[in-house]
Amino acid sequence: MSQATAVREEVRRVIGRSAVMAAGAGDPAWLRARRSEAWDVFEATPLPSKRSEEWRYTDVARLLPLDGLVPNVGEAIAGRALPEGLRRAMAQDRESAGRIVDVDGAVVSVELDEALAAQGVVLASLRDAARAGVPEVEALLATEAVPAADGKFPALNAALWSDGVFLRVPRGVRVDRTIRLSRWVSQPGTATFTRILIVAEERSRLSFVDEILSPHFSTVTLANTAVELFSRGGAQVQYVSLQRMGEGGFYLANQRTLAERDSTLDTLNVALGGSVGRIDLNARLLGPGANSDMLGLYFGDTDQHFDFNTSQDHVAPHAHSDLLYKGALDGAARGVFRGIIRVHEGAQGTDAYQTNRNLILSDKAIATSLPNLEIEADDVRCSHGATVGQLDAEALFYLMSRGLRREQAERLVVMGFLGEVLSKLPLGGVVEKVTQAIEAKLRYV
Amino acid sequence: MDDSPILAVTGLEAGVADGDLEILKGVDLAIRPGEIHAIMGPNGSGKSTLAKVIAGHPEYEATGGGVAFGGEDLLEMEPDERAQAGVFMAFQYPVEIPGVSIANFLRTALQSRLEDGEELDLFDFQELLMERMELLDMDLAFAQRPVNDGFSGGEKKRNEILQMAVLKPALAVMDETDSGLDIDALQVVARGVNALREENPEMSVLLITHYQRVLSHIVPDTVHVVVDGRIVESGGPEVALELEAQGYEEYRKAHAA
Ligand SMILES: Nc1ncnc2c1ncn2[C@@H]1O[C@H](COP(=O)(O)OP(=O)(O)OP(=O)(O)O)[C@@H](O)[C@H]1O
Ligand SMILES: [Mg+2]
Repeated sequence: MSQATAVREEVRRVIGRSAVMAAGAGDPAWLRARRSEAWDVFEATPLPSKRSEEWRYTDVARLLPLDGLVPNVGEAIAGRALPEGLRRAMAQDRESAGRIVDVDGAVVSVELDEALAAQGVVLASLRDAARAGVPEVEALLATEAVPAADGKFPALNAALWSDGVFLRVPRGVRVDRTIRLSRWVSQPGTATFTRILIVAEERSRLSFVDEILSPHFSTVTLANTAVELFSRGGAQVQYVSLQRMGEGGFYLANQRTLAERDSTLDTLNVALGGSVGRIDLNARLLGPGANSDMLGLYFGDTDQHFDFNTSQDHVAPHAHSDLLYKGALDGAARGVFRGIIRVHEGAQGTDAYQTNRNLILSDKAIATSLPNLEIEADDVRCSHGATVGQLDAEALFYLMSRGLRREQAERLVVMGFLGEVLSKLPLGGVVEKVTQAIEAKLRYV
Repeated sequence: MDDSPILAVTGLEAGVADGDLEILKGVDLAIRPGEIHAIMGPNGSGKSTLAKVIAGHPEYEATGGGVAFGGEDLLEMEPDERAQAGVFMAFQYPVEIPGVSIANFLRTALQSRLEDGEELDLFDFQELLMERMELLDMDLAFAQRPVNDGFSGGEKKRNEILQMAVLKPALAVMDETDSGLDIDALQVVARGVNALREENPEMSVLLITHYQRVLSHIVPDTVHVVVDGRIVESGGPEVALELEAQGYEEYRKAHAA
């Protein structure tokens, strides 16, 4: 290694402008400029503090040592076998229409059903798509959905992202089987920046499952994800995030969904793994008849910390959104849900609902639930509700009186409680996967 | 037939755990294998409390006397151990378990009866479930519904009987299973109980009821009258007929005196 390379290796080992340069090496000029501007925003934006309402319960300054993390800038593990844990998770999947595999922030394989490719469906490494000059990437990457201006982490991601997914389904094309992203993070103490950009054109249909896994880490390991979802008129999109990182994992995602006229854009966030999970989800209803079902499901134990910050922005009239987040918390786990429905001026005929329910399984577990409404239109139907409850002793006795051991009874009640969320998921394949993942986790409770 | 009782309740005193309310004030009851005993008594006299103490409800505590089941001290056992030993209680107020299907619940209940490492044969289970549902005139789709969630009163009671029929207990304590059933449903329930007893003539039943009606379908060997936490009379089926005619007033007066 020459002296110069050694120095470069050294500087790109920290989060800084040189890492931005490294991540953008080989990028077209527009993208390098966009990264650089994003870095400026990052530097100009203070780290979210506990004093701000939105970060009150997640102390990033304490939990996330940004300065000590080594950014993954997208060197693929070309030719090497996939990690065992990732292969196991992939083997559980039912049939897919396509799959992208991403290891340590670099796409290592892309597969797509040939018939779909022939119909114009594009599934690609985001980095490759950007370099190939795909016009939507330049138009939509970090512009309308998750721009750098959104905050410290959106800016960091826009500056440092190494790879991710670009998926476009053309007008009228229906992809009935799931398209999957299977991600793995292997290196402790690293920071991985991934972006997902999905465009469902008019009257198309797709379902996408984004699964992330990792081994246990003894040091904080960041996986930061920006998810940009566009559902054009009459399209149907389903996005599922399945977070199953190991201990030490810090999962931080900014998701924004843009649903146009008569389209649906449904999401499910499942948080089971990692030490800290923070998800900021903003659903924007941009056209009349737009619909977003927003589901969430979390199961925390040990000292896991999950924080969901959701917003439902009803910009257009006569749109519908319905949020249901349910979580069970055991050990000394903490769950935070903060949700707001914003009905903008002129959004008459809005139907918007928001429900968060928590099941507390131990004395040390804590759930905080903060639902909120902000309504600037009349003639709307909105409701929000939150509950924090314990296992029903009467239900446990009922089950035990049929011979179930206490753990079996508890498991069944918890599974039933969380199952309500899964039963609302329209597409098959995902449900089994999530059920298995929760059951695997419940086995150790 | 062995003449020692399957259930022996002796001088049982019980109340609400961590409270001073005394509900059962010395109950004696011996049920031999194959016998059917009915318990009647006014509201609030302690019938459900007796049933729940037998099943091991954590809200109640025995403060005196004892309960033996097949010679074992039942009060020392956890509710699941009692169930495994063969005790079944059909609840007066069955509990809703949202999101858990009846089939899944029963499968887990049967699985829990197997040794560690042994797996329930799913095919056998399906067959048993179907056969039991047919016996009880139940639609197969019923088993896919979440346990008691949104059930009508009658559906809840039928679900209790279905569970009993699948789990095949040695002792079935039925707490007002006949309340809230229409005439057809009552006959279905009675048919279920009698079919189980045909399969296992040693199965014993403790039937709590307010109505003589059910006793013409499930014919008791003995009828007990409970007033204010005590059995004040025991006798043959005629006791129920007398009660039907006279009510509890006589017993109340006698007891108050
Ligand atoms: N958990 C409890 N806390 C307080 N009081 C209780 C509790 N359980 C039972 N009791 C009281 O004990 C008495 C007996 O109740 P129990 O339910 O055993 O009556 P019952 O004979 O089954 O009545 P019913 O015919 O109405 O079903 C009642 O006065 C009741 O209010
Ligand atoms: Mg009662």
